[in-house]
Amino acid sequence: MPVRVVESSAPSQLSEGANSVQTSPQACTLLSVGQTFSGTQNVSGLQKDEAWRVNVCIQGCDLEHGYLCGTMEALNVPMADTPVVTFWEGEIVDTKNYTFFTGKWEATPEDDIRHWTKFSSFNPLLSQVEVDGGKSLDLSTCPYIFMRWKEQYFVNVGTDCGLTIAGFYYVCFSCSDGSINGFYYDPNSSPFQKLELKSTNEGRSGFSFSSYELR
Amino acid sequence: MPTSASASDSSVAVSATRRHSDLLPRLASSDGLVQVKALRELKNRIIGNRTKKLSFIKLGLVPAVADILASKADAGDGRHSDLLIQSAAVVGSFACGFDAGVHAVLDAGVFPSLVRLLSHLDEKVVDAGARSLRMIYQSKLAPKYDFLQQKNMEFLLSLLNSENENVTGLGASIIMHSCETVAEQKALCQAGVLKKLISLLKGSLSQRDASLESLATIIKNNVEAVSEFVGSDSGRALSSVIELTKDRYPRTRLLASVCLIVIRNTCPCYLQDIGIKTKLVYLLLELHDDPGQVGDEASFAFCTLIAGREDLQKLAFEANAIDKLYNHLQKGALHPKRVEGILLAMAELCSKLDSCRFKFISLKALDLVINGLTQDSAGVRAAACICLKSVSRSIKSLCAGDFMNEMIVIPLVQLLDDSCTSVQESIFGELEASSLASLVSDSEPLVQEQALALVRNLVDGCVNCIEFVFAENGIILDAVGRQLQSIPKVEIGIQGMYLLCNVASGNEFHKEAVMHQLVPQAENGTQSFMIKFLQSSDSQLRTAAVWTIINLTFPSVPGAFGRLVKLRNAGIISQVKTMVNDPCLEVKLRIRTALAQFMTSDDGSI
Repeated sequence: MPVRVVESSAPSQLSEGANSVQTSPQACTLLSVGQTFSGTQNVSGLQKDEAWRVNVCIQGCDLEHGYLCGTMEALNVPMADTPVVTFWEGEIVDTKNYTFFTGKWEATPEDDIRHWTKFSSFNPLLSQVEVDGGKSLDLSTCPYIFMRWKEQYFVNVGTDCGLTIAGFYYVCFSCSDGSINGFYYDPNSSPFQKLELKSTNEGRSGFSFSSYELR
Repeated sequence: MPTSASASDSSVAVSATRRHSDLLPRLASSDGLVQVKALRELKNRIIGNRTKKLSFIKLGLVPAVADILASKADAGDGRHSDLLIQSAAVVGSFACGFDAGVHAVLDAGVFPSLVRLLSHLDEKVVDAGARSLRMIYQSKLAPKYDFLQQKNMEFLLSLLNSENENVTGLGASIIMHSCETVAEQKALCQAGVLKKLISLLKGSLSQRDASLESLATIIKNNVEAVSEFVGSDSGRALSSVIELTKDRYPRTRLLASVCLIVIRNTCPCYLQDIGIKTKLVYLLLELHDDPGQVGDEASFAFCTLIAGREDLQKLAFEANAIDKLYNHLQKGALHPKRVEGILLAMAELCSKLDSCRFKFISLKALDLVINGLTQDSAGVRAAACICLKSVSRSIKSLCAGDFMNEMIVIPLVQLLDDSCTSVQESIFGELEASSLASLVSDSEPLVQEQALALVRNLVDGCVNCIEFVFAENGIILDAVGRQLQSIPKVEIGIQGMYLLCNVASGNEFHKEAVMHQLVPQAENGTQSFMIKFLQSSDSQLRTAAVWTIINLTFPSVPGAFGRLVKLRNAGIISQVKTMVNDPCLEVKLRIRTALAQFMTSDDGSI
């Protein structure tokens, strides 16, 4: 006998997960286009102790392809007259498009493990990553999103600005509060330069989200 | 000497006019032999010469030929065969590739006479009538047949069943020209036309081509017709079309490819084989080498093959499609239709994949597109705009400022200025609160969704931007609140909810205005749409709803506690508390944030 469909008060797990073999991280609104972050990058070397203020804005996001891009602005760079803006592209570790192993940019699996283990949220994943780069992990329930951000070009200064973008960042994003931690890796730069960013509200008393899309 | 040359020119003109006017009385002669001779002369003069066709049309020769056809078409005894054959040939010549000629021929009432020739006893007359009608059916101006009428269907079947290949070809042309609706496609299939066309695939070159084109018309966007075709002769029909993609004639190869693309686009479950996809990509790229119509049409077929399909765009990229199309475009002095097609093909290629866009930019193909922006042909200008839009979707290139130079911006602004004033008005003139509010309440759900997304983005700018929704006594916010009471599709709920969420990220006044929409003052017993949204099976809508609650109860804002109480009274807080184990990770995390904020604001009473 046909019966009336009654809306259940608690959404059913089946309605969304019945045929799901999703192992990639779930979308997170705090990591969507238009979201901004600010914080610091510690560039301490052996002789000096220094931190640059950094702002990041997400410009594009394509989870299907594990792709993210944005701009990064370094504010008090000693050798530059103006804030230095770079454009970066990110690889989201989603086990489908990208694993924890970088496989390029002069990073060996050992370099990868050494950097990822700097994030305490990575520890539960370590043993499997050592086996296959994390290919068989289920990251869909993990409240962190791991990424690599690689700066591609300087937006507002020339390549002769005395700065380098040869390396890349190992990044861990917290879906809970939108905070970002990262470590810069470049065999020719100071090791483990730490990037610490927090989600910003830009003068608002709350959170705001856009739905920009290039059609 | 200039003088004598001019004298000689004018004498030629005079003699030509004399000969022109001479033809008219000869066509009206009572002597059939004189008429035949005049018709032959006329035919020879107009063949392939548009100027001559036009001047004879102006002299009124078409009605004279039409009179001969009308008066002799019914004489089926063969006495006037030569006259009919020559008249039909002249009419066909007037109509061939020339719309003004088709106009003149149809205006003179020739069409029914030509159709009558198809039932003549003399096979040569039938052939001449069919040839002539085929010329007319090359034009969009040709009359359409309604296949839902029995007598038209019977006429079509009689044509397709003919032994004469021009008559069967005519049948196919009529199908291509007239079949427009699914009901007509269905009627044709039921009458056995599909089967007949399949049998014609084994016929002569012209029958094969006509059959391929008609097949594509009948099965396009019609799943049932495609299934019938694919299942025909145990799959042999499909195999023969695949085989025809290897034919020695480029036109046949093109038409066979188009047929396969129609099958694949209508029913993606067929032709999944990567081999066929790759073959089609290479074949259509190769057909661009044809200097004629086939080459012009190849780009359009290529567009339909790769449109919206990333897998095929990737295959095309790997087949060096960008380089090949670029090389063609670079040749210069191309027919505008071909330039348009190639630009559209480039646009499709660059619509999804950054790899294609980078290749495009590295070849400096942008210069050719910029050149297209100022061409005479409106089709080329439009295609250049589409191509530019597609290539500029690369965020990496946009951020690098690749498109912000005067070479691109100036012609684009000019295009807005001179030919798209209506677009300009619609973009800039309509951004008034009342107009946007009416778009939010539009009867089309898609318009509602886009309008809500637009306002959502507008209020996501600086904090002051939020004021926009309060213009004209908050007309937009009220419209949003009304729309959210009952949403025709979930996407509208998502956009509308994020709009409210963004407004609620503002100051005390903004938050209270959102509260007013969520929890109406009047206690009329209706449930807030917020509860429905929180219970939605769509996790994005649930997320948007929870974010709004987070903003409304944002700590350290004075009225947070008061709003918390109102939300509790409306039953929203108890709903939120049931969601701590939501199956969606994001919703679960946001619920935790919300609950933590409740704790901060709570004095123990919540």
